[in-house]
Amino acid sequence: MSVAFRTIRELGADLRAGRLSAVTLAEASLERLETIGGKLNAVVTLTRERALDQAQRADRELKAGRDRGPLHGIPYGAKDLLATSSGIPTTWGAAPFRTRRFDYDATVIRRLEEAGAVLVAKLAMVEFAGGMGYQQPNASFTGPGISPWSPDAWSGGSSSGSGSAVGAGLVPFAIGSETWGSILSPATFCGVTGLRPTYGRVSRHGAMALCWTLDKLGPLALTADDCGLVLDAIAGPDPGDPTAAPRVYRYDERDSRRPFRFAVVRGAVEQAQPAVRDVVVRALDTLRALGSVEEITLPDLPYEAMTRIILWAEGASAFQALIEGGTIADLTAPEDRVTPYARDAILAKDYLRALRLRGIVAREIDRVLSRFDAIVGPSRAAVGARLGQTFRSPIRGGAPDVLGAIGNAAGLPAAGVPCGLTADGLPVGLQFMGRAWDENVVLAAARAWQERTEFHRRRPPLS
Amino acid sequence: MTPGDEVEIFFSLVRQRYGARLDEAQLAAVRETLEGLARDVATLRAAPIPDDAEPGQPFVPFRADS
Repeated sequence: MSVAFRTIRELGADLRAGRLSAVTLAEASLERLETIGGKLNAVVTLTRERALDQAQRADRELKAGRDRGPLHGIPYGAKDLLATSSGIPTTWGAAPFRTRRFDYDATVIRRLEEAGAVLVAKLAMVEFAGGMGYQQPNASFTGPGISPWSPDAWSGGSSSGSGSAVGAGLVPFAIGSETWGSILSPATFCGVTGLRPTYGRVSRHGAMALCWTLDKLGPLALTADDCGLVLDAIAGPDPGDPTAAPRVYRYDERDSRRPFRFAVVRGAVEQAQPAVRDVVVRALDTLRALGSVEEITLPDLPYEAMTRIILWAEGASAFQALIEGGTIADLTAPEDRVTPYARDAILAKDYLRALRLRGIVAREIDRVLSRFDAIVGPSRAAVGARLGQTFRSPIRGGAPDVLGAIGNAAGLPAAGVPCGLTADGLPVGLQFMGRAWDENVVLAAARAWQERTEFHRRRPPLS
Repeated sequence: MTPGDEVEIFFSLVRQRYGARLDEAQLAAVRETLEGLARDVATLRAAPIPDDAEPGQPFVPFRADS
């Protein structure tokens, strides 16, 4: 029985019916990660020993009738910025830290263990989650992340391995992080579903800090339904992270609100690459079968400049010792060795101005969103860059991404789903961005999309 | 002072602090990044903000026994 490209629910049914064991599943995942994952530069460390221990325990518990829930016995990979114990390295994708180890598990890793999930790999990522300003795919000591849709195309970043491992059917789900684009970008370029939760929904304890007020952790999986199952397991308050909100989250798979009320920001689709724009325009036509799609104009505010200043200022502080001490000279991407020095130019008053503007943006966007279930638009305005080429990045001001700037600065949830392929065979994504704490609404919209379309069932050539 | 003046001042600062580590091409990349930052900062400063708009702060006073 093939276990690749099967959803968490499908695998869970087989595990409980005795048609499959967690050990068999973990071994199959490890084998695919080692072979296909190696070709995609998706893996930093296989966690074989810990995986087989966890899988054997899952088999024993399920056989004894102790069911920890939907993730019990399901293998997964974690972006390599999440601390893991057991002697497993946590590298942050950066050559200077390739042997660094922590003696504890990040809260997300611990919660997944409590849910019975099986950690099979630490997955590749852009060095320091892109916080140094990279603008090319080759920005990790593990090499450029490769999309399973083309050996010549980038997997996206910074959660590169999380995207390609799910996209190539190596794991049913993975954990990524997003400061600005790092879940939705690899989800898009690898043709999978990604969920960026509301800021504060998931504890960041044990995760590398890039920007304290922007960083979020979330799942990438084959379906929106699977993302909901994972979020249910990892969300919730945590004394280890004071920004983790004191709210309990329960995934509501029954939420099937229809018709939906969608908004499209005027100009957002037109700004995309022509190949992306064509796919998204067709997707919006399909979306009208699920509800209304109203074009809107957003208040005139400096969304992208504001988010960039917050990102660069907080990143400069988070990595101050590495920058001033010269450690960045050993990074992979040449621009990551240089451009961080420019952040000495950000004045405290300008950072604070950006934070004050963020409060205004959050209120204004919530006012707009209160009339809709979600704002929809392209998950990314461009397809994955070709390996060896530089790309224009929104976080360096080289490409537009108003929804990404708003969603991350205001801490709003977004689900990104596959919505088609370009003529070159590269995936394009559609995002549903909702009000704060409305993960169940954006997941309901994404589920409705996936009930009506087949894009998430397409399999890439490199799998 | 124009944004261009600020770029020159900050470029001088970066060169004094880190210039020994950087060659001319790298310094040019720094200048380009500074110019982008200056554009963003100018955009921010041009956006009106009411006096009572506060930055959202996660800070809360700490007391170990509460």
